[in-house]
Amino acid sequence: MSTSGTPIAPKETLSNVNVTAALDVEGNFPLESVQIDGLVVLKIIKHCREFFPSPVTGQLLGLDVNGVLEVTNSFPIPGAKAEDENELVDGARYQVDMMRCLREVNVDNNTVGWYQSTYLGSFVTHKLIETQYNYQQTFNNKSVVIVHDVSRSTHSNLSLRAFRFSQAFMEAQKEDKFTTESLIKNKLTFSNIFEELPITVKNSHLVTALLHSLDDYEHVIPKSASLDKEKVVSPLSPNFDTLELSLDPYIEKNLEFLLESVEEHTQEQNTYAFWQRSVSREQTKIQVALQKRKQENVSRIASGLEPLPEDDIHKNHKLPAEPSRLDSLLITSQINNYCKQLNQYSGPTLGKLFIAGELQK
Amino acid sequence: MPIDAATSALNLSFPPTTTAGFVVPQSRSFTVSVNPVVLFSILDHYLRRQENQHRVIGTLLGVRSEDGSEVEVRNCFPVPHDETQNQVNAKEIIVGWYATGSNLNQWNALIQDFYSKEVMAPFQAIHLTMDTDLKNEEKLLGVKTYVGAPIGIAAKPENCLFLPVPCDVKYFDAERSGLDLLASAKDDISRSASLISDMDNLEKTIVAVQKMLERISDYVNKVLDGSVPSNNTIGRFLMDTISVVPKIDKAEFEKMFNSHLQDLLMVVYLANMTRTQLAIAERLQLLV
Repeated sequence: MSTSGTPIAPKETLSNVNVTAALDVEGNFPLESVQIDGLVVLKIIKHCREFFPSPVTGQLLGLDVNGVLEVTNSFPIPGAKAEDENELVDGARYQVDMMRCLREVNVDNNTVGWYQSTYLGSFVTHKLIETQYNYQQTFNNKSVVIVHDVSRSTHSNLSLRAFRFSQAFMEAQKEDKFTTESLIKNKLTFSNIFEELPITVKNSHLVTALLHSLDDYEHVIPKSASLDKEKVVSPLSPNFDTLELSLDPYIEKNLEFLLESVEEHTQEQNTYAFWQRSVSREQTKIQVALQKRKQENVSRIASGLEPLPEDDIHKNHKLPAEPSRLDSLLITSQINNYCKQLNQYSGPTLGKLFIAGELQK
Repeated sequence: MPIDAATSALNLSFPPTTTAGFVVPQSRSFTVSVNPVVLFSILDHYLRRQENQHRVIGTLLGVRSEDGSEVEVRNCFPVPHDETQNQVNAKEIIVGWYATGSNLNQWNALIQDFYSKEVMAPFQAIHLTMDTDLKNEEKLLGVKTYVGAPIGIAAKPENCLFLPVPCDVKYFDAERSGLDLLASAKDDISRSASLISDMDNLEKTIVAVQKMLERISDYVNKVLDGSVPSNNTIGRFLMDTISVVPKIDKAEFEKMFNSHLQDLLMVVYLANMTRTQLAIAERLQLLV
């Protein structure tokens, strides 16, 4: 062991601006982007891959500085199958324990959000809504959910997206009222439930050194005559997975999901239409009753009696409550996601197709 | 990818027997593969050490292949806490420990003894060292793995011989994309990179392929000129590569190409149609 003063790893020199921002406990700076440590990226990928395809969640730790949410560490939360109360308590205790342990080793132990794995972008669920709402309310809007899509990342480039709720959605969720009226009042549509924040990745100096030394292996010239390709592949040799042509299953699956959610959407529409019909039915009933009462009153007044009040009719006939529009909102948002995904996906695929076409000439 | 391919240490597969007067390591030789996340974690741990601390140690978690010939180190955690981590993935067991700094001393031996008791017999604890001083010109920050072997007449915990074990870096397909992204940040002065779209990624890959093709054709031309001596191995690699290009009948290919194209365009059309519908619905909803 070298006792001769190991150089202290270069620390980020915080300029005065940054220091004041870090001390900005009130949270005056709104979040603008998310910066993830390389370690966290790998940790999330590892956790999500191990449990693929079942969804997993974990906690993100870090700090927000000057509107940039720096995620410097993360840990997985065990088992999403917390069905009974007991396991839930265990999960909470696990988190507390974990935070304590991490503090002991000088890790930032400030919760800044959570992450979730997803399969083909189907992440807009009630569970996500609830959890993110809790986080965002507890942490003064400075909390994000990072969604990692394992299936997309395997074939092409990394899929990591950071979301948080828009103010409009937070308000609507706070009132827990998703009627047409409140949606209009908050100007809430499927496209502004979430705000997506740009993600950047940052490596520490030591990690940069490691990556450089990993890269050195790229220039291995085969010495032996064996054609064993495994031997000369370095971790950072160019990745040609993106050029994979047979990706039909992916599109197929995506379309399948799209169909499913469109079907759900139709169901929602039906419920809504049913509600509208019953509302108009009730309204005609009320109208009829009012009409009747009026005629009665006319005849009563004619015969010199007191007219009957009209209030009780409204009391007797109640309008059915409007079904929550949250579901349809979520489903449309999900459909939109699938469509976007298909579009994003088919662009490069078309390109690849033409490349293959040229290659055959 | 083997890390210490150039090591001078000999790795023999000892038969699991004890020859007279000569105690061989109890288990067969094995190789170690390390997941990149482990290396990243160790570096992070080192960065976050106490100010007067010179090195950090921690526990390695991983899985063993069934025949015990390979140990995959998949996870690790800094040492002050070790009670809860196992809950998340019960498949991963303690396989050894890590320390930063490249020197091995008697403290290492003592800790090795401790971990040997943690690791279930007949397997041996692995000791991974990582050189964070960056002073040596070693590859991969001097990542090395060892197993301990007792030495001396009376087995004492502080008497221990560290035998180097071959070690390589291994990752899964899903981690590949993440690693690529991180690697793209390594030449950047700010040490950061942002996520790129699928299209940009494709472009990058194509540019890389083009560069490689240029390099190869340059090399081939040089060999043909006679300015560079030919290398049979490279020639064979090239042969191999060229032979995997499939030969498809032209008409057949045209048919495949067109049907595929139509399918794709159809999907794009459908997706765009749906999105338009949604957009209209959105506008209408707010108008009500």
